Amino acid sequence: MEARMFPNATTFVVLVLLLGLPFVVPTTLAIQIAAFALGTLSVSVLLGGVGLLSFGQGLYLGVGAYGAGILLRDFQLGLLPSLAAAAVLGGFVACAVGSLIVRRQGVYFVMLTLAFAQMGYFAMLAFKRFTGGENGLTGVPRLLSLFGYAIDDARTMYCLAAGIFFCVFLLTQRLLASPFGSVLASIKQNEARSEALGYAVGLYKTAAFAFAGAIAGLAGGLHVLSLGFVSPNNIELEMSQRLLVMGIIGGVSSPAGALAGAIFYEAVAETLSLIWPRWLALIALLLVAIVLFVPGGLWSLGARLTDLARRRKHG
Amino acid sequence: MSIQLLIFQILNGIGIGMIYFLLSAGLTLIFGLMRFVNFTHGALYLLAAYVAFALTRSGISFWIALLLAPLTTTFVAIVIERLILRHTYRMAHEAQILITFATALFIQEMVILAFGPLGQNVSVPPQLSGVVFLGPYVYPVYRLAVVGVAAVVALLVWLLIERTKTGSILRAGSEKAEMVGLLGINVDLVFMATFALGGALAGLAGVLAAPLRGVDPFMSAEALGIAFVVVVVGGLGTLSGALVGGLLIGLVQSVMSSVWPEGAQFMIYASMALVLLLRPAGLLGRN
Repeated sequence: MEARMFPNATTFVVLVLLLGLPFVVPTTLAIQIAAFALGTLSVSVLLGGVGLLSFGQGLYLGVGAYGAGILLRDFQLGLLPSLAAAAVLGGFVACAVGSLIVRRQGVYFVMLTLAFAQMGYFAMLAFKRFTGGENGLTGVPRLLSLFGYAIDDARTMYCLAAGIFFCVFLLTQRLLASPFGSVLASIKQNEARSEALGYAVGLYKTAAFAFAGAIAGLAGGLHVLSLGFVSPNNIELEMSQRLLVMGIIGGVSSPAGALAGAIFYEAVAETLSLIWPRWLALIALLLVAIVLFVPGGLWSLGARLTDLARRRKHG
Repeated sequence: MSIQLLIFQILNGIGIGMIYFLLSAGLTLIFGLMRFVNFTHGALYLLAAYVAFALTRSGISFWIALLLAPLTTTFVAIVIERLILRHTYRMAHEAQILITFATALFIQEMVILAFGPLGQNVSVPPQLSGVVFLGPYVYPVYRLAVVGVAAVVALLVWLLIERTKTGSILRAGSEKAEMVGLLGINVDLVFMATFALGGALAGLAGVLAAPLRGVDPFMSAEALGIAFVVVVVGGLGTLSGALVGGLLIGLVQSVMSSVWPEGAQFMIYASMALVLLLRPAGLLGRN
């Protein structure tokens, strides 16, 4: 992880990116980028912060989406309570799954995150009375307001999504810079040594997993608000993979990589899918190249370039 | 549920379970030897199923597909190992997983490019399209044949690993690869052979499954999930674990599909969670 300061230059770059985004891309795309960046943040917190590779963050995003959708539609809950519930639900499910699997090391852990993501998908199909099964959850109300301001068009929706992303981003930066974050970093470096130092490694990992789950759940809630329905692909394995790909491409060494990854992925998807429907094959090749040659992802590339420029300037 | 229906579903479950075993055997062998989880495994299964589809569609006999599909996946596995994976053995396992995942994604996109995104059917070979009567129930001959083939393959792989010199090298390599190398054995070649064997087993599972479930480009993710469940339930790294896990999962799926059809797949994963809670190392795994 980058130098543990808060707030730092990264904070301001992220703020500028968020403010400029709706002027560069269509607003609906900007909303999607903000929601996916939030989901991807859950991947980078885990991999960058504790060294846990999760193939299943889509599960918690899906849980948040279905939870918020049902609360909005059937219980007429307001915007903020629904979003809060989405985060709590995502965090709760992640805490339950995490407490089962964090003790498993390395590849075993990765396999289990994927298996539990599949479990969530099939649970959605099994309980279709509540989730709508393959048809998805439709009829979620879209006339919402926040503190008296109506959230009724793309522009206000983007303000909401970007605002939430920025708040969670700040929280994540703050958390990683805290003593708690330092323990997570030590677990990432050497788990056995952290254990020997007396830290309850399992608890720390479970807490980080739950925190990431809450972020993903919140992203799911945002997704429902912006779309007005929950599509089953919110909880499919493909969603987990997409979040992971965005995270790796953007880079997990800084939480800002999540935003970089989401912007890059969505922009590429938007342009390439018109030219070649199988553009994901190119993303796959890019993924291999990033893992082999740029392990820090796009964000580290940007940081390296500015570093180089600064050094040249100062002689 | 009547006793006859239960017996019928148990037979069905053994058939599905044997395919799950074949699917997971390669994964567990590769892991046992190299501590490497191959996320391409599901994509090789997918590839074999589509080779079977393409061959039978153009009028070529299923029996030839049964031979050619595993050969194709063996070849592809070797190419992947030589071109990419070989360079990742010294990397962190996260990097290996991401690279095999990216490879799987690439294969899946190529399959969609060649065959389209929609599901297709593969017909059962005419010699095996009949049924046998088991009491009041009819049971497809093809499923019996699958059980037979999988049992023979299980026996052959077991003999290869436990009773031959090649097998003892494989087992020694899984304990101490460096030591095996010092004894003058080309470990590099052993790794490649293991990948090839894993590819062949995934391919065999794919071609056998094709007439049962049809083919679609997204069967690879499903297969990978199932294979993970099987090795988690049975215990990672052992062939017997894959057999027990595969059969158990096949039985759960089959019996549940007559009790709670829409929840049958869910119950597979629920039983995995249960095993994880009660026996974290898997049923046959060592801690």
